[in-house]
Amino acid sequence: MNLKLNKFLIIILIGIVSTNIQGQEKFEKESRLKSKDVPKTALNFIEEAQISGKVKWYIEYGLETTSIEAKFKMNRKWYSVEFDTLGIIEDVEIEIKFKDLKTKIKKAIESTLNNICETHKIFKIQKQFSGDQNVLISVLKQEETQESFDIKYELVAKCVKENKSEQFEFLFSDEGQLINTSKIIFKKSNNLEY
Amino acid sequence: MNIKFVTFIIVFFCLIIPKQSNSQSTYQFGVLPSISLNKKLEKDWSVNFKTESRLLIQNGDFKGNHNKEFEYLLTDISLIAAKKVGLNSRVAGGYLIRLRNGEAIHRTIQQFSIVKSKTGYRLAHRFAADQTFSSNQSPEFRFRYRITPEVPLNGQTVDPKEFYIKTNFELLNKFQSSDYELELRVVPLLGYTLNEQNKFEFGLDYRFDSLFISDPRHSFWTSINWYFNF
Repeated sequence: MNLKLNKFLIIILIGIVSTNIQGQEKFEKESRLKSKDVPKTALNFIEEAQISGKVKWYIEYGLETTSIEAKFKMNRKWYSVEFDTLGIIEDVEIEIKFKDLKTKIKKAIESTLNNICETHKIFKIQKQFSGDQNVLISVLKQEETQESFDIKYELVAKCVKENKSEQFEFLFSDEGQLINTSKIIFKKSNNLEY
Repeated sequence: MNIKFVTFIIVFFCLIIPKQSNSQSTYQFGVLPSISLNKKLEKDWSVNFKTESRLLIQNGDFKGNHNKEFEYLLTDISLIAAKKVGLNSRVAGGYLIRLRNGEAIHRTIQQFSIVKSKTGYRLAHRFAADQTFSSNQSPEFRFRYRITPEVPLNGQTVDPKEFYIKTNFELLNKFQSSDYELELRVVPLLGYTLNEQNKFEFGLDYRFDSLFISDPRHSFWTSINWYFNF
């Protein structure tokens, strides 16, 4: 009885695998990068910004873009500095707390999320600075600057709508206007559950 | 905080597992290959089909007596249906049949799992209960808790063509007739994500059964797992 059952299962397994192995593979990958492989322009930027914490480098491949990212902790805050593949600075992100936002922005964000979601929960907020290289160095050094730069807020939040709970990344302007929304797809976890 | 919690779990298991083997205790060593197939369905449902076999290579005691013989022990076949109930949590229920020496043992399973994505790792909690029925033994009822950290070896998430380390720490409370036993399992595994569909894991499945008996058994299984999503 066991042999018959085992044969039956093997046939089913082969059938399932052979009909589904051709599925599309999503191309989204992030890997550690050794300092020696980081473009010199990016290394110079981090050196000039006098980062006190240990810097970890990553390369991120998106569907259309590839970027290089430096991540570190400084003054008890997580920083993420993004460069293009040539090492040109794109933006600086600093993890902050929702309560640290200005009241006006907090209200605007809450109002938008209340309109979109039945209930929501914010997990993470990053303040995103973009502008001239020298300005961004000043931001990292926490120095005053007269030059202008753009500020945006990137939120990761749970949004429950029609009894469906999903996680999104929301991008808000400095005025609290919603610029972009993207759904976060979780990686498969059956190897952690079964 | 979670890193501290995981450290606490590791230290707890290291302390609870006896350092010196009891003179009465026995061991077994073998191979535990498994295949787990997961199919996502509509409306947040999914089904998991899993088959796992147990092959004994050697057993004995810690006095040096041993029996080296390759022996097929059993095969478990399970089918579990799961429903996503939260952002990263799932309730599941299913049935397992164990084929051993021509006998069929039946088990019903219920579980709740939650998988949290943290910066640089994932942490899964699984709360499960199962009930085992066979023709020649009293029903057995088990209540289990498992915590599993999964740490990528490259970058902050486990991406295709990357390795990871996964370790299961599990406590099993077992009730049968008037007996109670507590089993511990520690399963450190090296995993490889080939692509979005396929994951492979290889490592040790250590089981200590049981804490409250004078002749406990240590089981050392070589765990080889294939996870396939479709």
